[in-house]
Amino acid sequence: MNLLEFARGPVIHWALIILVAGTIWRLLGVLILTRGADLSRPRDAFGNFKGYRTVFSRAWPSGEFTVATRYQTIMAYFFHFATLIVVIGITPHIEFITSLTGYSWPALPNAVGVAVGTIALVSLIALIGRRLSMPKIYCSNIGDYVTWVLVATPLITGLLAFAHLGARYETMLAIHILSVAALFVWFPFSKLMHSFWFIFSRAQSGLSYAHKGVRI
Amino acid sequence: MSTPATITPIFPTFEQVCQGFGSQIGMLREMAPKPTHSAEVRVARAIDTLIAETNADEAVWLESCIHCGQCTTACHFFQATGETKYAPMRKMELYRRIYQREIGPFRWWYQLITSPIKLQDLEDLQELVYDSCSECGRCTMVCPMGIDTASLVHHLRSALVAAELVPPELSALREEQRHRGTVFGASSDTLLQMVKTISEHYGVEIPVDKASAEVMVLSSAVDLVANGNGLLATAKVMNHLGVDWTVCTDGFESANFGLLSGDMTLWRRQVEPIVAAAQRIGAKTLVIAECGHAYPALRWNPMLKSEDLPFDMVFMSEYMGRMAKEGRLRLSPLKGKITFHDPCKTGRRGGAFDEPRAVLKAMDADLVELPANREYNWCCGGGAGIFLLERATRLRDESFKIKLNQVNATGASMVVVSCASCRLNFEVGRVKNHWDKEVASLVELVADHLIEPPAAATAGAHA
Repeated sequence: MNLLEFARGPVIHWALIILVAGTIWRLLGVLILTRGADLSRPRDAFGNFKGYRTVFSRAWPSGEFTVATRYQTIMAYFFHFATLIVVIGITPHIEFITSLTGYSWPALPNAVGVAVGTIALVSLIALIGRRLSMPKIYCSNIGDYVTWVLVATPLITGLLAFAHLGARYETMLAIHILSVAALFVWFPFSKLMHSFWFIFSRAQSGLSYAHKGVRI
Repeated sequence: MSTPATITPIFPTFEQVCQGFGSQIGMLREMAPKPTHSAEVRVARAIDTLIAETNADEAVWLESCIHCGQCTTACHFFQATGETKYAPMRKMELYRRIYQREIGPFRWWYQLITSPIKLQDLEDLQELVYDSCSECGRCTMVCPMGIDTASLVHHLRSALVAAELVPPELSALREEQRHRGTVFGASSDTLLQMVKTISEHYGVEIPVDKASAEVMVLSSAVDLVANGNGLLATAKVMNHLGVDWTVCTDGFESANFGLLSGDMTLWRRQVEPIVAAAQRIGAKTLVIAECGHAYPALRWNPMLKSEDLPFDMVFMSEYMGRMAKEGRLRLSPLKGKITFHDPCKTGRRGGAFDEPRAVLKAMDADLVELPANREYNWCCGGGAGIFLLERATRLRDESFKIKLNQVNATGASMVVVSCASCRLNFEVGRVKNHWDKEVASLVELVADHLIEPPAAATAGAHA
């Protein structure tokens, strides 16, 4: 078994198992906790439901905070969408997903894949640049940096492999898959879990403020 | 009955009230109790308190923070000082560590890699959750995860109560309210004395302990021991409305040092006599004095099943707003340009936005909104008991400058507030900054602008 076979075989499969099991464990470990009851009478009988809109409305900062949050919001949007497009849009990824699930869909042209991957990487660098230059605001910890490295590495190695740069293609591909495996393993234990938490967190706050008749 | 215009005022001006309050607060520091338990017991109690108070909501919020730093743009204490330790996200770091070690799904792992909590950790936390967080909730408005840091800070205050680490001023008042049921010595006798003074000097009657009444009105220690004008104004407004109202000697105090310190038991215990009194007299409405935190303490008390209560709980500004909307408040026009400050406890954390504005509209006021208003209003820096903390003076003064600039930007000559804490903080800020603005309380402003039809005035007083 060479490096690529090792990466494509046991490594990525075990990483996926840890990703799924760890994510479920962490979600359940939190969500099975009891919910504290607010016994006070809501401002409007059915007003609390309005709180759920915070899940969506918080996708963009309020005008009140536009100036302060603009850079980060725009970069974060570029990063999230570009990454998503690359993850599900290029041929090798679709083939990998097909091998796991049987589903497939048309891929983006390679040039587009490279362009979008570059956007993802550049925006990620723009984000870490800001984090590093403003330590007072970000209060970064080790987890923030480990997460950044583990997210950036698959993007860098993927672009290099895709563009046939750096090491031999098979080696680069193997490194890319290993870096993705590292990301999968890290995911359930890190702040990357915000990809699930955001729904619950926003909904909870939305509901608790809507209870008082406040739209957040 | 003589008209108010002919009466010499006997109560101090609010500037004098502020000065008097300053010396009273100084005495509190000496009265604060000393810790009685060992460090181990105090730490264990703090941790147990957090474990007991942490539900799925708190856990999700603690899990969700991505250290994006946006909360810093919303926090007046961070913005005023630029010091990283005041970043809202930092205020929950210790909570998260305790959660990860004790409750979280990977606690076995975090018990290996994180160090146990020490008393020093909790001592360091004191400044973060008392001095530098007014639980105003503005950071929730910007957080992309929508984390409600203010509620997490409230739980941390609870933990510090268990660890005997309440700042001295709040601790002394908590002890006083716990053991003697008074705040700043404001007992039922103080109330009766004040009622008598108001009746004798101003000829304004305050119905006390009526067997039954439609509306029960609360007062607050600030009004009873210092600012008599507050209770006087409340009485004038209630009499003007001609409603069947009363003040109860066994449930009159709005201030709740259980909520402010984080002592949930005292919070509940302080609410019970008020609810009992309101039920006994068959009140339909309970009017909470202009005391910001009393609104969440009563109206939004999560431990009180208010759905089952036969009465509504409303804040003073809310009550006057409803009356204004019904056309029952007859007010003379208010001259000059004014602005309104939403207290965080009744505004963003309470939802009473429209009513105070309806009152101002009834005065035909030229209201210019603050650049950031309603849900986005900046806290004045004195809320959640911070006004009482001497140690927080610098934080308060610095963060007040944000407010000062916001008010200046409106070009108004007067800023109207509807919360005793905010008002005290504004007044101190006004004096310190030689500010040319007038700071007014909504209820006192209304009382000064009542148009009394000759007959209604007498009828109202005896309703």
